[in-house]
Amino acid sequence: MILVKKNALLSYVAVCMVLAVIPEAFSGHHQHQPKAKTVGEINQIDCQQVDIRCAKTVTSAFSPKGDLWRLWSQQQALYYQRSTDNGANFTAAKRIAIPDEKISARNENRPKIAFDKAQGVYLSWAMPRERKYTADIRFSYSKDDGKTFSLPVTINDDDLLTGHSFNEMLVDEQGNVNIVWLDGRLKLAKQSKKSAAQGSAIFMATANMKKGGLTLNPEDNNQETFVNKEVVNGTCVCCRLAIDVNSKGNLAILWRHIYGDNIREFAITTVNEQQQAYQVSYDHWQINGCPHQGGALSIDDTNRYHLVWFNQGDKGKGIFYAHSDDAGKTLTTPLNIGEQAAQAAHAHMSEYNGIVDIVWTQFTGTEHQLWHQRSSDNGQTFTPAIVIATAKKGADRPFILTHKNKSYVSWLRFGQGHWLSQL
Amino acid sequence: MNKAIIKKVVALYLGLAIMMLFSNKVRAEQETSDKKIIHQQVFNQQVFEQLKQKYQGSRWLMLLWSVDCPPCMKELALVKKLQQQKQDLAVVIVNVDSDEESEQQRQAIIKHFELTQLTHLYFRDGFEDHSRYLIDPQWYGELPRSYFIDEAGTFHGKSGLVTKALLDKWLLSSRA
Repeated sequence: MILVKKNALLSYVAVCMVLAVIPEAFSGHHQHQPKAKTVGEINQIDCQQVDIRCAKTVTSAFSPKGDLWRLWSQQQALYYQRSTDNGANFTAAKRIAIPDEKISARNENRPKIAFDKAQGVYLSWAMPRERKYTADIRFSYSKDDGKTFSLPVTINDDDLLTGHSFNEMLVDEQGNVNIVWLDGRLKLAKQSKKSAAQGSAIFMATANMKKGGLTLNPEDNNQETFVNKEVVNGTCVCCRLAIDVNSKGNLAILWRHIYGDNIREFAITTVNEQQQAYQVSYDHWQINGCPHQGGALSIDDTNRYHLVWFNQGDKGKGIFYAHSDDAGKTLTTPLNIGEQAAQAAHAHMSEYNGIVDIVWTQFTGTEHQLWHQRSSDNGQTFTPAIVIATAKKGADRPFILTHKNKSYVSWLRFGQGHWLSQL
Repeated sequence: MNKAIIKKVVALYLGLAIMMLFSNKVRAEQETSDKKIIHQQVFNQQVFEQLKQKYQGSRWLMLLWSVDCPPCMKELALVKKLQQQKQDLAVVIVNVDSDEESEQQRQAIIKHFELTQLTHLYFRDGFEDHSRYLIDPQWYGELPRSYFIDEAGTFHGKSGLVTKALLDKWLLSSRA
């Protein structure tokens, strides 16, 4: 009896020891399971499903007939929804019917959507390539108000495995589609000659889909329609560009440039109007790094250029607003926007009929706040800043869109969803 | 009778020994593969406090980086060089990307620069700015961001790529 007990006890001890050792041996596996981050953290949203709340970026724009579109990327595809009541209600998410491909969509880099007056819908985005920091600028077009889209084509014509990213797109009154982006081809050429290379370049391409019966079918060999043109070299490699068309119909571009020894200041140029770009900020931010903060540009009917930018320099810190009546050659004294100590950042701005709206985010340590400030006298004076929304689980950059003399703000709040409101 | 019991006990211990040997082997293999997978931990206040305690009274460096930041790669390359000069560098590497999409990229980059031995943390998805604020409310997210933490525990933040000379001075000098 005693012996049996002893035996059983030994077996029990052995089993316990084995059980105690083996799970420990395998416990490492549990830490490296793919993170179930989407479920639970964003209120049980299943991000295998198509849901704007799973997006990292949202791009919104009004079509000329007044439909509000919102576009986002999920699982290597682009999805959109339309609203006929300024964003109160949206149609079910619809996939842009093009083959799967990688799409850059986070922070400063995101897909773009634009419209012409004749049912044309234009999409552009950056498609990451096989090597780090390489991508192509892609373009797809719908001539029938989004019913069908063309097979995407690559806009950069260098056929090089290098950076092509941070695309911006604007369709003007004549239906010319302008695409600008940060391009690494000049840097790559410099590197092959083993000379010092600094920053990226801005390239642009313009085409008109209504002329010449362009079909955008790659087999038609029509990529030539988007002839690439260098705008400027020596730009920051990781800040979004800002573009607008001036009263003469020329495209203006605002970007972060590298001056001297890594002094990152904003610069502006108007295509077809000047050879040398104008430096617009003098905040003296010396950083051999990535600010990840671009500016915003809006040009009014009187050809006044309104600008906002962000710097953390010795001479200027925070968000600044200024305007210029000579295309950026001279500026008003920059006005500090938001509370620098409260993490004021990521400003966007838009002008219509003499009203200038600026939005930006601040962070309290626990929540993001969306702030708004307005000028009703074309940028001379501004109302006091107010908080118009908050986010608990992080937020994307805010953007202003205007339509029929009204302006709206679009703000994606992670896990909470897309917030749209008239300003 | 006694012999039989002794046999049983011996067999049991033998079995146990084999099992423990096996589990040790499993554990060893696991450790090897862990090195390949890279130990990464979510950054939060508790982890941050633990780090500060761990390095209390000594100099250390906290380096924050993103897969979307080309100059960050240059700084990681500098740390790689430093590691060849000194084992057990007092360096903590924090990735700010947090999203699932960039997880594979960040693993590949850490392996590429042979930095698997160092402590790696990453920001929790949707809490990037919370984490940033916890480290430094006066940091606006520009990268790379290096914090030189002195013996008194004071954080000295610097944005942008730092020089190798500065890293050498901070981490290789006799006071380090």
